[in-house]
Amino acid sequence: MNEFNNNPIDITQLPKFEEVQLNGLNPKYITVLLFNFSLLLILVIGGFSALFYFNQDAFSNTIWMAILVGLVLILVGLVVFTKFSFKKKGYTFREHDAIYKSGLISETTTIIPFNRVQHVALHQGFISRKLGLASIELFTAGGSSSDLEIPGLLLADAQIIKNLVSQKINPPKQDDPIEVAPTETPLSEEHE
Amino acid sequence: MNKSVDFSQPQRQSLPGILVMFANSLQKTVRALWPMLLIWLVKFDSLNKLVFFGSVAGVVLIIAIISYLQYLFFTFYIDEENGEFVIQKGVLNKTRITIQLHKIQQVNINQSLIQRLVGVHKLEIDTAGSDKKEASISAISHELATILKERLINHSQLELTENAEKNVEEITPTSFIKIGLPSLIKIGFTSNYIKSFALIFLFFTTIVENLQQLNAEVIDEDQVTNYLDTLPIYTSIFIVIGFFITLILLVNLVRTILKYFDFTIQKSKQAIILSYGLLSTKNTLLNPNKVQKIKVTQNYFQKKLDVTTIGIHQASSDAEKVKEKDQIEVPGCNENERDAILKLLLGQLPQKRTMYLPNWRKLAVNTFFFLLVPIAITLFLNHKTEFVTWNDWFMYTAIFSVFAGVMLWFSFKNYKLFVSNDFIIKQNGAWDIDTTIIEPYKIQAIETQQFFWQKATNIGSVTLSTAGGTVSFTTGNYTEIKQLVNYWLYQVETWEKGWM
Repeated sequence: MNEFNNNPIDITQLPKFEEVQLNGLNPKYITVLLFNFSLLLILVIGGFSALFYFNQDAFSNTIWMAILVGLVLILVGLVVFTKFSFKKKGYTFREHDAIYKSGLISETTTIIPFNRVQHVALHQGFISRKLGLASIELFTAGGSSSDLEIPGLLLADAQIIKNLVSQKINPPKQDDPIEVAPTETPLSEEHE
Repeated sequence: MNKSVDFSQPQRQSLPGILVMFANSLQKTVRALWPMLLIWLVKFDSLNKLVFFGSVAGVVLIIAIISYLQYLFFTFYIDEENGEFVIQKGVLNKTRITIQLHKIQQVNINQSLIQRLVGVHKLEIDTAGSDKKEASISAISHELATILKERLINHSQLELTENAEKNVEEITPTSFIKIGLPSLIKIGFTSNYIKSFALIFLFFTTIVENLQQLNAEVIDEDQVTNYLDTLPIYTSIFIVIGFFITLILLVNLVRTILKYFDFTIQKSKQAIILSYGLLSTKNTLLNPNKVQKIKVTQNYFQKKLDVTTIGIHQASSDAEKVKEKDQIEVPGCNENERDAILKLLLGQLPQKRTMYLPNWRKLAVNTFFFLLVPIAITLFLNHKTEFVTWNDWFMYTAIFSVFAGVMLWFSFKNYKLFVSNDFIIKQNGAWDIDTTIIEPYKIQAIETQQFFWQKATNIGSVTLSTAGGTVSFTTGNYTEIKQLVNYWLYQVETWEKGWM
């Protein structure tokens, strides 16, 4: 046995995940978030407009005003919420793991060590493709609850990250050419 | 032993096997049609006897013919040229199962009750690819089964000479633990109340629905109600509750014994084999490396009776839907047996070492949601509708408060996390106390979570995902949790061997 060390570990000296500087997502990603919200909002507004057009007597004028004010408030609220929650999202890749943090009300940090990643996928939705964005998803054996998706990356960055993680999963060896399992690249996959 | 049996020619199962198939088909039919049968029995007097017995005889005859045809078309043989074991079956839909001999991991011979009566055995073949369809021959004489098993295993041995030792070991698995009837009775009386209650509820509603559809007046509801009305109110309540408790206990007992009768754990060098069941013997292969999460459950009664239930969660080959086969329960083992099983699965007894407790706010939050909110809702509803008198409301609320309060207090008291170098142990539960054990290197992902209002008080939660399920610890000291997360990450990332 060559150079066997078994020094006690000082837990306080271990690298701290909570102190790592996180990278923010690409600002264009706000557009994607807002677009998703606006789809929902358009449906609601459309419903009320139709009701107003065909049957104005359904509510009294004051209630119609209240609905209008309510909708405007929700719209403003959503925009503010999106801006703030966007600021809270961040990711980083350490030597041995991937970290993704998100959440305004409930702050969640997910960490996946590379030696537990089964495969990597790169997704591009419709809006993302128009904006040149992509998301990276890391799959583990822990089921869907422990998969990690990092959205709002520039396509070029996402590809670099994907290659990096693929290399971490299947480190290329010199002397025995193992069959490197090609990680999926569902570039055309719709995922929003 | 007669070794000259030629397995290269297609063979049929042994002739009494028809009876086994017949019994199996009959059982399936009865199970599918039981509500109808029950109604027929109830309305027996008003039925045309000729039609009744005629149709029963007809169904039985059809099943008999199908069984015979199934027997006729079921053949198996060893294809020496390609090194495959082939099973062909099916009357109309032909199925051909081929198993490459070198992929055979395990050959099991078991017997169910019917097979025991007829004097045949079942031969099951386990292959490396666990998600593949399993191959089995349901009726074969013991002598033939032994020879075939030897043949199959010898073949796989030829392919993998280095594994020869393993296979020799496999032929004679040593019996390890046997769970006797007394332990099963203890477990039957002390667990699964809710499950059995649901089962009984379903049973009754199905019957009532079917009876109502036919307008059958079997049990005169008025009569029962009238009888109960004549008794003092508390006596009738006790009668109804007593009836249900007895029924639940009985159903529990029968279910446990039927399912887990003759529970045996056998150990071979490679794997652990579990077999159990009264009417149908189940056989499961357990690979200690595949075990991701172990859950030991015990309640107060069971502690006094020295029995526990151990749930073993294996890594699923299919992440989306967890297969039943991957979740195994060992019912009713005593303390020594529990320790032996844990040692077998983990290599050592899990140590608890450092203990972490939740913040008192966990109790406060749970009390708010599970005690105060329900009371407020009933208060509001009763205020609106005057459903019960206020005296009654106070009485019910007092009973509920005491019950919920005790449950909340114990579930808080029992909520603990233990961390040592090699184990993470989480304990929780109010009545049934679960102890979940995982090994740090089997963690797949870690998630920490904190609400913004928890920042000031430095409280947070952590969820550990493994391939066999998640473990979470909520409302703990966030600084301690972050320190633990860093430690676990270090353990996972420096672990050189595989996690499975």
